[in-house]
Amino acid sequence: MKTDDLVTLLASDTGPVEMAGFARATGLTALAGLAACSAAVLVMVGPRLDLAAAAMTLPVLAKFALGGSVAGLALIAFQRSLRPGRAAAGALTLVLLPVAAVLAWAVAVLATQPMPAWPALMLGQSWSACLVLVPLYALLPLAGLFVLARRGAPVRPRLTGIAAGVGAAGLATLAYALHCPEDAVPFLATWYPLAMAVAGGLGALAGPRLLRW
Amino acid sequence: MEKPCKEKVCLPVPDPSPPVSLDDFEAVLHPAFTAGLKGDAAAYRRFLDLIGGRLRGFLRGHLARAGLASAEEAEDVLQETLLALHLSRHTYDPAVPVSAWAHAIARYKLIDHLRRSGRHRGHLPIEDEALSQPAPGSAASDAKLDVERALAALPERTRTLIDRVKLQGGSLAEAAQATGMTENAAKVALHRGLKAMAKVLSRRGTRTP
Repeated sequence: MKTDDLVTLLASDTGPVEMAGFARATGLTALAGLAACSAAVLVMVGPRLDLAAAAMTLPVLAKFALGGSVAGLALIAFQRSLRPGRAAAGALTLVLLPVAAVLAWAVAVLATQPMPAWPALMLGQSWSACLVLVPLYALLPLAGLFVLARRGAPVRPRLTGIAAGVGAAGLATLAYALHCPEDAVPFLATWYPLAMAVAGGLGALAGPRLLRW
Repeated sequence: MEKPCKEKVCLPVPDPSPPVSLDDFEAVLHPAFTAGLKGDAAAYRRFLDLIGGRLRGFLRGHLARAGLASAEEAEDVLQETLLALHLSRHTYDPAVPVSAWAHAIARYKLIDHLRRSGRHRGHLPIEDEALSQPAPGSAASDAKLDVERALAALPERTRTLIDRVKLQGGSLAEAAQATGMTENAAKVALHRGLKAMAKVLSRRGTRTP
């Protein structure tokens, strides 16, 4: 077919174009994903027993802040990456700020403790559960975000995948904080960012495969 | 930016005369595109002609640098890109220049094409200025058979409709009448057909990236 004929064809397909609202759709998908994650946490592992008392303490609030800020920044990058020509990598890089903040906090905490106490502060009782369950719960919002991404035009599918993975892990962090019994900052600063990196890696692998168009 | 080939036709649209700098180009492209979004078919056709001419030069330049000087191959990628632009109109962000949006999509389709044929090495540099390169000898050439093959995958009724639209020079109403469809049914069939073609094109020769 000649390009001119193709252009004729395209120009005759002038139905109304409904412009995408990716910001809103991403927000709704995130809310649904967060609800699904929370339900999964509450049903599968249950809330921490002292949740009512602990919910307003600094360690739990720090988990909420970390999860919320990482999810927010990564999902901004995610929804931008669905629109060709919009820069998204910058917003994704900002995710490193809250992570750096908890790392700095953890270093400050460790500095006040004798070195033999460090492993216990970092490993806690449940580091492996955090590392496995957060990426696992993240699969729920991640699936929704990938479905949404297919409605967009991700010209950097790996970036879209990473942003979706990290954003989903941020949401899973919010939910898992309802269960996670660990209150040491070094624990929080080690395993949550690692879990987010695992989910981001999953997204990086899945993006180029599932988001081709 | 020097003005090349003032005499020759750089872009298939003689009027307005082909702008050269990216700003001037955007100044013509943007109103045509936005009017097209609102349903102005003539403006939309102008947009497609303008961006098509510009992208042809971009694609030929990049394919030549990848050691592939085939104008036919560039035309194939161009056609796939035009189809992708058309079907991705809803992803346009008013905060971005239309040319940057189109360039990002063309770049994606080019990389995808190179990767699919196993010739993509490393990264294409992200050149925001790339589109400001005037097209070197940008008269249309024949495409290979990619779009034709995608067309063959459509149901016969849709294929007939598409042939008719081409014959009637873009009048969907007349094409609908000739194929015994209502205009609305023809509209839906055409849009679905284009979507199906894009799908076939993006799946051809799939390789894992």
